[in-house]
Amino acid sequence: MTMKPLDVVQLEVIRNALVAAAEEMGVTIWRTSRSSVVRDLLDYSTCVFDVDGKSVAQATCIPVHLNSMSSCLDDILRDHIPLSEWREGDLIITNDPYSGGQHLNDILTFKPAFVDGRLVGIAGVLVHHLDVGGGAPGSYYAGATEIYQEGFRIPPMRLDDAGRRNKEVIQLLLRNTREPANVGGDFASQLAALDIGVKGLHRIARRYGPDRLTEACRGIRHQSEMAMRAMIRDIPDGTYSFEDFVDDDGIDRETQLTIAVKLTVRGDIVEVDLSGSSPQAQGPVNCTRNMSGSGVFCGILMSIGSEIPANAGCYEPVRIVAPDGLCVTARSPAPVANRMAIGHRVVNAVMGAFAKAIPGRVPAAYYGVSYAYATNLFHADGRRQVYFDLTCGGWGGHPEADGANGFSCGLHNIANAPVEMLESTYPVTFEAYTLVPDSGGAGEQRGGCGLIRAFRIDAPGGTLACNFDRFKTRPYGLAGGAPGSAGFAELQRADGTVERLPSKVAAKSIAKGDVFRLITAGGGGYGDPAKRTRAAIEADITDGYVSREAATAAYGSKAR
Amino acid sequence: MQSKASRRTVRIAVDIGGTFTDIEILDEATGQTFAAKTPTTPDDPSEGLITGLRLAGEQVGFEFGDISALMHGTTIATNAVLQRRLPKGALITTAGFEDVLEIGRHFRKQVYASKAEPRVVLIPRAWRLGVKERTLATGAIETPLQENEIRQLAEKLKAGGIQCVAVCLLHAYANAAHEQRLAELLAKYAPELDVSLSHEVSPEIREFERSSTTVLNALLMPVVRRYLERLRARLKDAGFEAPVYLVQSNGGVMSPETAALLPARLLLSGPSGGALAAETIAERLSIPDVVAVDMGGTSYDVSIVSGGHTRLVTEGNVDGLPVRLPMIEIRTIGSGGGSIASVEESGRLRVGPESAGAKPGPACYSRGGTEPTVTDANVVLGRIDPQFFLGGAMRLDAAAARTAIATRVAERLSLTPEAAAEGILQVAVSHMAGAIRLSLFEKGLDPEDFTLLSFGGASGLHACDTADEIGIGRVVFPRDPGTLSAWGMLYSDVVHALARARLMRADAAAIPVLQEIGAELRRTGGERLEADGIAPPDQLLPLALDMRYPGQAYEIQVPFDWSPGSFEASLAAAISHFHDVHEAQYAHAERHVTPDIVAIRIAATGKLRKPIEHVFAFEKSTGAKGRRAVFAAGNWHEAAIHERSKLAADMKIAGPAIIEEAHATHFIPPGWQLVATPSGDLIATKRAGGAA
Repeated sequence: MTMKPLDVVQLEVIRNALVAAAEEMGVTIWRTSRSSVVRDLLDYSTCVFDVDGKSVAQATCIPVHLNSMSSCLDDILRDHIPLSEWREGDLIITNDPYSGGQHLNDILTFKPAFVDGRLVGIAGVLVHHLDVGGGAPGSYYAGATEIYQEGFRIPPMRLDDAGRRNKEVIQLLLRNTREPANVGGDFASQLAALDIGVKGLHRIARRYGPDRLTEACRGIRHQSEMAMRAMIRDIPDGTYSFEDFVDDDGIDRETQLTIAVKLTVRGDIVEVDLSGSSPQAQGPVNCTRNMSGSGVFCGILMSIGSEIPANAGCYEPVRIVAPDGLCVTARSPAPVANRMAIGHRVVNAVMGAFAKAIPGRVPAAYYGVSYAYATNLFHADGRRQVYFDLTCGGWGGHPEADGANGFSCGLHNIANAPVEMLESTYPVTFEAYTLVPDSGGAGEQRGGCGLIRAFRIDAPGGTLACNFDRFKTRPYGLAGGAPGSAGFAELQRADGTVERLPSKVAAKSIAKGDVFRLITAGGGGYGDPAKRTRAAIEADITDGYVSREAATAAYGSKAR
Repeated sequence: MQSKASRRTVRIAVDIGGTFTDIEILDEATGQTFAAKTPTTPDDPSEGLITGLRLAGEQVGFEFGDISALMHGTTIATNAVLQRRLPKGALITTAGFEDVLEIGRHFRKQVYASKAEPRVVLIPRAWRLGVKERTLATGAIETPLQENEIRQLAEKLKAGGIQCVAVCLLHAYANAAHEQRLAELLAKYAPELDVSLSHEVSPEIREFERSSTTVLNALLMPVVRRYLERLRARLKDAGFEAPVYLVQSNGGVMSPETAALLPARLLLSGPSGGALAAETIAERLSIPDVVAVDMGGTSYDVSIVSGGHTRLVTEGNVDGLPVRLPMIEIRTIGSGGGSIASVEESGRLRVGPESAGAKPGPACYSRGGTEPTVTDANVVLGRIDPQFFLGGAMRLDAAAARTAIATRVAERLSLTPEAAAEGILQVAVSHMAGAIRLSLFEKGLDPEDFTLLSFGGASGLHACDTADEIGIGRVVFPRDPGTLSAWGMLYSDVVHALARARLMRADAAAIPVLQEIGAELRRTGGERLEADGIAPPDQLLPLALDMRYPGQAYEIQVPFDWSPGSFEASLAAAISHFHDVHEAQYAHAERHVTPDIVAIRIAATGKLRKPIEHVFAFEKSTGAKGRRAVFAAGNWHEAAIHERSKLAADMKIAGPAIIEEAHATHFIPPGWQLVATPSGDLIATKRAGGAA
């Protein structure tokens, strides 16, 4: 149904107001949060939902959060607290991956906005908290075989009940984190942002009237849905399959996991069938259905629709098919903390399938995992400090350009923590933070270079936990381009011995003087290396992105 | 040569923009100001400046010898960066960190783009050179500088044709010894190089932002020095001997000598004249809380005056590159007269951020533009008179505007061209309103307490509607809106912004550090002002602390009273102030937590003599110039058209009405009423319950 013409203007005006409300929430968290994960890595999202509980405006920089809050709210409304039971002054909280969440660190909060006793919308805030307990600092316990080992679990429930806050719940949660001051501070920011969102919804509903607002929200979703359908219609009908792989689950280090995508395009509908993927794993690499959904939507938007305003309407023409019990649709109580490896691989595989459907429009594979590591540093006086970090690698070559060097991609979009800030805060000293030559796959368009991040431990002792991938498998090239390099990690002990680390490390003892080095994957190349221009090859050599030897091997005589 | 008795003394401000050079002349004896505009000469802007000054001198009646001071606003630094007219430079940094400049914060803005957004890296990898050395966060030196390496390095730079070098070593803000030694060695082995040291340019923690600022500074040194040399020569030839001051992004001015060494301080200084003007007008009208908006062809700048003062932020960015220097806080969005309206396949009406710019420009410019813009919408609605654009200097094609809107927007939405045009303006207004709301919101300020100040060529057409959208009931249209930035510069002071980064707890242990650094900053600030010829009675040396709760990424700046003998009390007051501001801005404070101090700052200020306020004289009123049909709120209205110069002091004008002047047009919608103030400003207020 088409909207009444005049509403197009008001719809756009209301859209801008809703986006502003979501941004105002985001600004509140950005400026006031306490921990490094939130403060410098920007690992949070804010969202505004309409009276149907559907997302209409989101201020996220992080694609993995894309449909996370939406589908979590869907699950809460369907299985736990129906919309009819939400009252003014309620605040709903959860972090349960099996009730719509993704992993326990992400605490999701929702607060309804009422005007004159009538629901006008819902504000939502998701924040990744530094530590929620469990077997390893940062709650990334690579040795987990059950979710109970990964931290505290909050079922969907009311933290505020009709305006009365259950402060004891906050005390209970903070007693179970390794970082009560940081998590407490971040949580205060999260709740303050929620109030800002509710105020914004009040303002918009009063200005335009609840009916107009509701109508506009439906229109906003409808526009995104129509835009999405139009993009899908341009793709030739057919079925396109692609597989990509994850090194292992960290427990059984011999078995590679398969992510299989069967993409079927029919008219203006897309079906993504993940049924051919590996069964759920023993180790914590599993994804819940919602997490895989984030990977699927991210892959679709990056392949065909980067300009479409992301809201609930985008999800309408997309069907995701897979039985429960796979590594992409894990059942409780499978562990999920290191879900990002599989999540990223879903993006890689979805984009690989689109590359077959619309060749020439989709880039080769990017590095493909959020390299997360956490050190629990023990000070001489018994204090402990968690230093958690995330880093990235190279982008795949694009049909029109080289892949970017050392830049966030796919599900991942975080800012790095400045070395000077880290060294001022934690007992670590960095040895290097630089690009890795020869790591991007050769091609007409070269893959981007990966990174090295290396630091020395200055605390008397501690433990190290890693959740990496792409140590064994490599980011694929496309159209004749070579794959990007695999990454690796090593620990150089104070005595000089060097130990290669597996991609998943549970809780390794570290000591003063040890140097930890992480080398991340480069992106795959795009197109036949023989077609790369002599000037581009020469520039790569001059700037040292590619060594002369590697260039000669990849491009032959042009490199001389 | 005139006799001494007949001489007048004038202070001049010149704002060189992309198209026009704006000149404001202040008669220091009477307080009268005069405005002039002359075309900018892009190849050497100093040429247009001299020509403009000569013309203004003939019109107003002064000679170059009568000028007491020249305040000079220039976009030369910003434009050199945007157009990449920069010399070949190198970056010297700690070995192992050569790619910090390229990696940046590795955070992308276009989240779902499959091709990465371009990252601007001004020094290619081959010229990012690591040296073996290491200073720790505490300032302790772990690995000494290998001095024998530096001679080879200098040879390499010379052989490579490098003109300027940025030096940014890890933790140089905490201990500058290695950067200083490197500079000595470079001066010895390669004295012809321009060298910028990060601890001098931007002594702040966070290596990428400091590197970026230092690199910009280094690359701009040859550019700005050449410009200043040409300017000095031209002025000297013309018999000009008075001091010249350059406008910085923090709103203060600096000497040409300082500008040649710290040219990064010129970056983003464009809008600071406007912000200064907003402060001055706020004072003149006794309205302490003002949102100043400046709308031009492609962008919309928002700055806030709260409690009579603009605010400074510690960082801005040019072309995506961070500039870590104190600057007047200005939010810029891509909404301007040239913003393009389009209808997407899904039926969505979008306005901007794509802009038709000046070329091809809006459809009505007849320069080849076919896409409908905000300016075209104003023409269709009768708000801009196609015969009187830029005071009649440019004829607009009303039919082309109507065709563009009819075919590209109205037909696709089944609307009349008027309804489509009004819709375009409503969407544009919602973007502008959102930018203002966010600017106020970030500081915990309420729009209802604010007055909107409209300047720039296109602001007046949308100011009342924008105010309405955010709940502001009063709009000020200052006189000479087209040269307001230059006018604001007449009121600026000499400022040396200095900082020392020191990450520490704000507890008793910090007091000796604050004493030591505070004394050093006050001494250095005082010396720099002395060097500018400003004696202690005219010096202000206010200290401030950047504070945050431990672990926060961003700081709040609070004043720190320099009161020897009671530093405990000063620190306690600063902490309490910090908690208060945090609570006001972010709705929560953690008063039991001892905050961190991240930096200690001084804005060493040399007060320049302020002109006396001239009493504005209205010309004799001649009533409305005419009437024409103007479309607003879904209907055509007969609106009175007034020439601004013909408004009388006591005149009340009810909307809908149009006020025209040479470089701006103002629209007073139905429901608003306009009065002129004795100062020559116009103030529109919304009549209670007076919406159309």
